[in-house]
Amino acid sequence: MAAADLNTVRATVESRLAIELASSPAIPVVFNNVSYAPTPNSSWVQCLLNFGANEYLSQGLTTDSRNRIVGVIVVNIFTPAGVGSGANYTIGKRIRDLYNRIIVSGVYFDAPIGPEVVGTPAPEGYFQTQVRVTFEFIEEL
Amino acid sequence: MATIRGEQGTVQFDAAGSSNATIVGTRSWSLSITKETLDTSVHGDTFRSFVGSMVSGSGTVELVYDPDATGQAGFLEDVVTTADPADATFELFTTGTTTGTDSVSFAGIITDMEITSTVGELVIVSCNFITSGTITSNLE
Repeated sequence: MAAADLNTVRATVESRLAIELASSPAIPVVFNNVSYAPTPNSSWVQCLLNFGANEYLSQGLTTDSRNRIVGVIVVNIFTPAGVGSGANYTIGKRIRDLYNRIIVSGVYFDAPIGPEVVGTPAPEGYFQTQVRVTFEFIEEL
Repeated sequence: MATIRGEQGTVQFDAAGSSNATIVGTRSWSLSITKETLDTSVHGDTFRSFVGSMVSGSGTVELVYDPDATGQAGFLEDVVTTADPADATFELFTTGTTTGTDSVSFAGIITDMEITSTVGELVIVSCNFITSGTITSNLE
């Protein structure tokens, strides 16, 4: 066994979303540290992945041992303002279904939170909701 | 000297008692050793006196269940050994895996196994054991 490759975990999480939103109807998705200038009155999605706490799962120091690595995906969904929430929640369902209690490549996704309406959209000029999904990965040393 | 943290520990086990091997995925272990006492007070004494007698031990090993983890199946399934001759051997390490160092070793019997599966949590196995015969302590 080897230490967890967090970039592989990131790719597992993000590629799942990229593939889904590339399918029809395609929606632009932007990830951490990628510049993007949204088109006014369009729909688009921002995915922010963050790793959090780690904890010991088993004894054994650096051999025959396990850690739990947890993280969260924050997905911001932007749709045109002033035309209702239906389009936004349609995208939200696609994202929610993508991770809901699924295990992919050793990454355990929990039940998603949201979509929750964001009172002050950032950037302004959109209707924004947010879906958050916590996940965990068991590192085997 | 240094203090020791639990993650430095290890449990080694062999159901046949020939060659202990590390059980992968142990989360904790505990061992309690008890010495019985015999009352040697006699007529005329005003204070009780004792001598030590039989020594025995018991404890628990807790596992983060993984059916593919080395050593787990042999350990937790030892509880279903019938007419158990107490031939299984244990070595509980506070740190490291060097036989006879920072450890307690003994033969024993797994008397109780409980596996727990709960939504949103890891599946955990807890095995209780008792010692049989000599307990060798190397907790120096």
